[in-house]
Amino acid sequence: MATATRAGPYLDRPTSSSLADVIDLILDKGLVIDAYVRVSLIGLELLTIDARVVVASVDTYLRFAEAVNRLDLTADGSRGLPELVQDGGAEHRSKGALEGAEENVTDAAGSRRGDAEDEEQPEERPRRRARPAARRREQE
Amino acid sequence: MAAQHRTRAAPIATGNGGVDPQACYVYGIVPAGTPLPDRLQGVTDPSVPVELVGRGRVAAVVSTVPADRPLGTAADLRAHADVLDTLAAARNAVLPMRFGAVLRDTETVTEDLLDPYEEEFHDALQEIEGHAQFTVRCDYREDELLREILVDREDIARLRDDIAALSEEAGRYHRIRLGELVAGEVAARRDEDAAVLADCLAPHAAAIAPAEPGVAEQGFSAAFLVRDGARTEFEQAAEGLARRWAGRLRVRLLGPIAPYDFAARIAGTAEGDG
Repeated sequence: MATATRAGPYLDRPTSSSLADVIDLILDKGLVIDAYVRVSLIGLELLTIDARVVVASVDTYLRFAEAVNRLDLTADGSRGLPELVQDGGAEHRSKGALEGAEENVTDAAGSRRGDAEDEEQPEERPRRRARPAARRREQE
Repeated sequence: MAAQHRTRAAPIATGNGGVDPQACYVYGIVPAGTPLPDRLQGVTDPSVPVELVGRGRVAAVVSTVPADRPLGTAADLRAHADVLDTLAAARNAVLPMRFGAVLRDTETVTEDLLDPYEEEFHDALQEIEGHAQFTVRCDYREDELLREILVDREDIARLRDDIAALSEEAGRYHRIRLGELVAGEVAARRDEDAAVLADCLAPHAAAIAPAEPGVAEQGFSAAFLVRDGARTEFEQAAEGLARRWAGRLRVRLLGPIAPYDFAARIAGTAEGDG
């Protein structure tokens, strides 16, 4: 009975988490060891801490604008067109602003990169024991 | 119980031998005697055994790591999560550490971490016993969302049309403004939908931890601490929501996973001090 409902037709239940999901889960969650132990801590450098910080910037806005502009809307943009509610097609189209952000994060976690995409990720820089949650709050 | 002591193929070193300095990576805290599955693979090196270091009623899940190599490759992140999620999937109570917890050696783990906080860890583990985390991630189908916005917000649609008539250079300011308006509208819709998610699933969970979304995130998520006996009804509720949002949002359910979003709250130690 419990297993009968596990995989519904609408809900997506991946058998393993994607790297982006993993980053989301473990980088700024869980018990903070510093809160318990200070003296014996080994301060190993962490590579990816800032990878997920994608700040709002002119660049982000421009990517949104581009995404809106490439949208295939009928000229008058009137309400209730069947295409507007139709499912399918949209999912696998070219990368938009929103998906692009996730891709950058995944990328950044995979390897230590050069500055090829610095424009898109002004904040990405390996730091020692940074606190991404706090940093993110400051930036918003 | 028989599996509780694994052979130490590579005993955790003291950490101060000059040539090959090693340290002790801590994944999380479990009740003493928790059986460790054989297939656990450690951070930085899958062949290094993942072990328990116990003190009293609690134990730390640890493995040896080189003390001179930065942590955080994709494989490191996965290994950390895999160890914890494997334990959680086998219905063990586990308090996950944040990624990157490294102590000098196993002695330090028992003396500085487990000994002073045994009571606290024990209480937290009892509270979490019989529960697992489920995380629900909802991602907008971007084109659908943008269409919704253009249809609902005439001012945005008009601005979009105006820009089409301008050269790239002349339209730059307008494009930034357009993107800003869209981003604001995306955020507003995301907040509304996130509230619906919480309302629908919280009644089937023992606790909820909504995530704070980033500015440019493509969706929203929330973590739920679900009692083992309530899993089926929780999953059904999630399925119902996914059906309701079909075409608009992709709804993903991750879990059972370790209670990443609840550990700090339940263990009660001040989280993040900076």
